[in-house]
Amino acid sequence: MQNVVERVLNLLIYLLESPHPVTAEDVRQTVAGYDDQNDEAFHRMFERDKDVLRRLGVPIKMEALDGWEIDFGYTVDPEEYAIPDPGLKHEERVALSVAAHMVRLGGEAAGVDAIIKLGGIERRAGIEPLGADLGEEAESLGALFGAVTERRKVTFDYRGHKRPVSPYGLAHRRGHWYMVGGTPDGERMYRVDRIENLEVGAEAGAFKKPRGFDMKSTFNAQPWEAGPDQELSVTVRFASDVAWWAARSLGIDEPDGVLETEVQVVNRDAFVGWVLSFGEGAEVVAPKEMRQMMESRVRDVVGTLK
Amino acid sequence: MTSSRTVTRLARILALIPYVLDRDSVDIEEIKSRFNYTEAQLSKDLNTIFVCGLPGYGPGDLMEAYVDEDEVVIDAADYFSKAPRLTPPEALGLLASGLTVLGTGEGSPALESAVRKLTKVTMPEADTSLVVDVMDRSEYVGILREAASASRQVKIVYRSVGKEEETTRIIEPWSVFTTLGRWYVHARCQLVDDARTFRVDRIRELEVLDETYEPPAKLPEPGVGYSPAEGDISCVIDLTPRARWVLEYYPVDVIAETKNKTRIEFHAPDAEVPARLLFRLGGDAKLVQGEEVLSRTKELGATLLKRYS
Repeated sequence: MQNVVERVLNLLIYLLESPHPVTAEDVRQTVAGYDDQNDEAFHRMFERDKDVLRRLGVPIKMEALDGWEIDFGYTVDPEEYAIPDPGLKHEERVALSVAAHMVRLGGEAAGVDAIIKLGGIERRAGIEPLGADLGEEAESLGALFGAVTERRKVTFDYRGHKRPVSPYGLAHRRGHWYMVGGTPDGERMYRVDRIENLEVGAEAGAFKKPRGFDMKSTFNAQPWEAGPDQELSVTVRFASDVAWWAARSLGIDEPDGVLETEVQVVNRDAFVGWVLSFGEGAEVVAPKEMRQMMESRVRDVVGTLK
Repeated sequence: MTSSRTVTRLARILALIPYVLDRDSVDIEEIKSRFNYTEAQLSKDLNTIFVCGLPGYGPGDLMEAYVDEDEVVIDAADYFSKAPRLTPPEALGLLASGLTVLGTGEGSPALESAVRKLTKVTMPEADTSLVVDVMDRSEYVGILREAASASRQVKIVYRSVGKEEETTRIIEPWSVFTTLGRWYVHARCQLVDDARTFRVDRIRELEVLDETYEPPAKLPEPGVGYSPAEGDISCVIDLTPRARWVLEYYPVDVIAETKNKTRIEFHAPDAEVPARLLFRLGGDAKLVQGEEVLSRTKELGATLLKRYS
């Protein structure tokens, strides 16, 4: 590894400092660590080292060496290489450092690599008793995030089908990561942990996001708020021992005793299921149509029991 | 394939050089803390920097890097005056961390402005494209976090996951964490005299007591799953693909699985939880086995039918 580290540092310095794009042969003749290799070994080594540079975030470009575009060379533009300065103040750096150590993604502290690049970790005394785990899908998420920010199209397998998607945004919600993107059939949502064989397109800026797209608004807060049906106003009553729990799910103030409230329902089936999850503790009061749906669901379930 | 250890090591070197260059020399202890270095790792990296440089590789071409009276000095490395830009996984990791903490309501104005600045440089065209929503009301998370920091005992009224009933307990909160989209507090529960993990959204009331507790020298690993206990009931249920979310929300064992059907074994302290679940799922679930659950489901069904017909 020692040799690799030295060789890659030397290669990067050469690419940053050369006034012109350089060929693989230039690298072989000039940069320490590549001599004494036969053709095949050299090319393998050079490919590997370029891959390391890309994983470090180094933008390596290929440029034509002549007007006929017959020969190509490699170059790294120092401007593009340099991390843009976000202009963080000391207390902002401390806040980010603490947050980076609190949150885990893919089993590791999620933001520490970035913090190191931004000038290192700011330590704060004491143990932080708060922690968050954002799941295991770090690798595909990183690639998808790159595709979202650079507007690259992606293709992947999802439930046995190949999907071409223009990725608009990512969200973590209820313990899962979701990607929303444009497809030939309109906007679709995918669970990131079910995405397989992800491929990211080579072209940046390959699609336009819809105007005013906001990942926040692509989620329905409650499962009964979405669907093709007409909205219906339903009155439901919760017994005092579960009223606080229901109020919390609905995002309304917690009552002292019984809770009777109106809920706007689109997906009736989802709402029936939610009310029944309270057992005897919840009752649909009105309208009649909804009470009948409750009855028929209960009847159906009782009918399946032996 | 080059190991990710090589990449990690290079990333740290490329961040270290600009930091020191910017300041001429930096105290060695600060460098170790700031870049997570041991003395040996740092000295190895400085020795590596010291033998690299411009082609020719003569004394005037190499970078300078050494420790002088506990000060780290790096020079002749102008091409590394800035660290390389963030890769997408790095940017995502840091932004998601910031957004997560902001989402708990535990963020500070400094964190908010830091995330805004970072968003601007890492995703200038996609500032509405990343959402991290960790759910739940946040005020208890903050209170429990403070109680854990101060080793204070907390009295809670808790609605347990496996059993639809409330209990009052005194807990000694060790840590507050979120996983799979829910917040938990890991604590010693005085009621059962053992370590327990509680879901924060199921805490109905909470009161931080004046009494403190002695934190254990080493915290046990928190577990969020429900582990079946003696006297638990169990039943077997078939689920359609639409009801597969049950696997993620309840502690169940999958017995058999085909394309259209998942057969699970469901454990709970009493029959109420699976009975309610069967009504919730309707046609997407079928009880296959379990006498107690069968009779409780029939009973609940009868009560509900009387109410609605």
